[in-house]
Amino acid sequence: MNLNPELQRQLILECSPARMIGAPTVLGAVFTLTYFLDGYQLGNLTAQASLTLFMLINLLWGTRQTADSIVEEYRDRTWDTQRLSALSPWQMTVGKLFGSTSMVWYCAAMCLLVYSLATDNPAALPLLYFYALGTSLLVQSAGLTLGLLAVQRGQYKTGSILGLALLGFVIVAPQLADISSMSGYLAEFTQHRYWYNIAVNQQYLHQISLFCALFWCIMSNYRLLAQDLGLRNLPWAWLGFSLFLMVYLGGFIPNSSYAFSLAAFGVCILLTYVGVIVERHDPLRIKRLMAYWQQANWRRVGEEMPLSALSFSLSLPFAIFLSFHQQQFAWLNISLHAYPLAVALLVLRDCAVYLFFCYGKNPQRAFSLSLLSAALLYGILPGLFSAIGMTGVAALFFPLWADSAIGALLFAAIQCGLILSLLYRRWQQSI
Amino acid sequence: MITVDKLIFEYPGLRALDAVSFKIAAGSITALVGPNGAGKTTLLRCMAALDQPVSGSIVIAGIDVIEQPRECHRIIGYLSDFFGLYQRLSVRQCLHYVARAQGIAEPDCAAAIADVSQRLHIQDRLEHSPAELSRGLRQRVAIAQAIIHKPPVVFLDEPASGLDPEARHELAELFISLRNQGMTLLVSSHILAELEAYCSDMLVLRQGRIVEQVAVNAPAQTQPYKLVLAAAVENLPAILQSIAGISVISCEQNRLALLQIDENISPQHQLLKALIALDLPVSEFAPVANNLQDTYLQTIRQQP
Repeated sequence: MNLNPELQRQLILECSPARMIGAPTVLGAVFTLTYFLDGYQLGNLTAQASLTLFMLINLLWGTRQTADSIVEEYRDRTWDTQRLSALSPWQMTVGKLFGSTSMVWYCAAMCLLVYSLATDNPAALPLLYFYALGTSLLVQSAGLTLGLLAVQRGQYKTGSILGLALLGFVIVAPQLADISSMSGYLAEFTQHRYWYNIAVNQQYLHQISLFCALFWCIMSNYRLLAQDLGLRNLPWAWLGFSLFLMVYLGGFIPNSSYAFSLAAFGVCILLTYVGVIVERHDPLRIKRLMAYWQQANWRRVGEEMPLSALSFSLSLPFAIFLSFHQQQFAWLNISLHAYPLAVALLVLRDCAVYLFFCYGKNPQRAFSLSLLSAALLYGILPGLFSAIGMTGVAALFFPLWADSAIGALLFAAIQCGLILSLLYRRWQQSI
Repeated sequence: MITVDKLIFEYPGLRALDAVSFKIAAGSITALVGPNGAGKTTLLRCMAALDQPVSGSIVIAGIDVIEQPRECHRIIGYLSDFFGLYQRLSVRQCLHYVARAQGIAEPDCAAAIADVSQRLHIQDRLEHSPAELSRGLRQRVAIAQAIIHKPPVVFLDEPASGLDPEARHELAELFISLRNQGMTLLVSSHILAELEAYCSDMLVLRQGRIVEQVAVNAPAQTQPYKLVLAAAVENLPAILQSIAGISVISCEQNRLALLQIDENISPQHQLLKALIALDLPVSEFAPVANNLQDTYLQTIRQQP
């Protein structure tokens, strides 16, 4: 049988005979203890222990395994061996995602089996299986994505990824515990909620959302692996994801162009920040991009275009539309205005600040230095001048304090011009 | 077989490859030599589609490497300077994985492993972990991984570093055998004496530029001859020119001369007879050994 080679390799590594025997032995000992504590029956304590173990194993161990499946390749310098193979990105995604977690699923399946025998609520089991498997796959897949992003940035430690997995565990665990109880199951099953103007069954919305999240997570793994394998791709997946988020968060079918544009603008801004943080910032990439631009090689320009630049470009039409259909309001009665174009320029400024630090001597500190800059520009400096009554100067640092859209735009443009010129100088020094 | 044209690769603040252009013929073994930091590894990585150059083109067996990196991976083997072996697998499992990952069908894997392990004399180490092997043996396993799918082109980055003389000799024999099977090899190395045993061409890379591409180990009849006399002879160049079929390349102190002999001239002993007949006090007359190290040093010294 021609099994996926990467899956086969992972199975050899993970499923050694010793582990195949050892894992059920340890789990068996745990469940024997809970069986005794439950009064010589598979009772509530056994059910709780098995569900907790399932979540611990699948969410924490599983995430670590998927992240390590790529980080270890870099650490052990075997990644080039894989890059030189004929394996497709899809084969690698499947092999790493399911192969590295094969032992995890083996142990988790035993826990789920014990839970199924011990639960006093068998009616909730199908839904529990669905969420347990779906969320586990999602978190593990996210672990692989984070691992891929980490190695692209030269980070070969999985501590921060495990921190995120722990956060995921804290979020997911109570949800699964709720589903395991009959009351939660029945109550949620019949509950309808409004998503903008559409009445939707909450359970279905959750399930569809889980499917969509899983799809996009696996897609991101595929695209990141394809990128690492040297395959050239236009950013269709990112565009598709942006569009999906706009439609999903904009209420599926827009009934108000203003509300939809606002959601789309928010999505584009969010994705601009996400893009600039997760992408690898190689100054030579920009040099290549400019060379392709000069050659009018538009396909290559599209391939080299940073995703954040794409999201930012997408946000501009929405910003212009919102500017012309602006609903005048002040936030929280503190004279903070919503000027979409000024907001877009502030996003550009923030990205430029981050890139400025990325092209510096300590790019690993770029994120923390950018956060510090943001604290100064958004909070401390405007707050300081505002406190002493110099609101005009405060608006210079945080243009949304300005009383007019033109003023805000002018202040934001000045900031952008300044930081972009600094960024250009630093980029020239770094190539 | 391989055409590289105006290849430019840059690291931040450093141009590692500067408009590198060359061609390599099919079935040759080319030595890629140059000082440390010349760009040898970068060039090999670009040719193996592992790194993306700023501009230029690389075509291997008709495949544009920059445009079709995955197609290129199917027809090349690449040995990196850090081997890239899975320490938690046995040698057999490593080879099996690479064979499968290179598209060899499961039923054919055993034969491919047997063939490559026999060629590299590692058949008795198949059940060991690479971590248990000496550097030389790990090197062989890594080469086995690179050639298990019988690629027409193989790039080897410092394949002989850390090997003992016997292992180097075996490696040279392996490379010659691979070439005889039709493979084209590009070998980067610092150990010029060992490259000499099997290389047919030499590419000299310096500060990211190809400064020389020469044929080495050329047939003996095209090589110059060195003539050394026991004592200086007046007007030696003119005397030598009087012999038919000889041209004097250089003459030093009327005692030492480099001669180019026509390809169709009679064997060496007849020429020697002619020299003796002219009553020249010949103390040495032999083809100049086309030493790779000499050629390399000569090239490096000639360049500014």
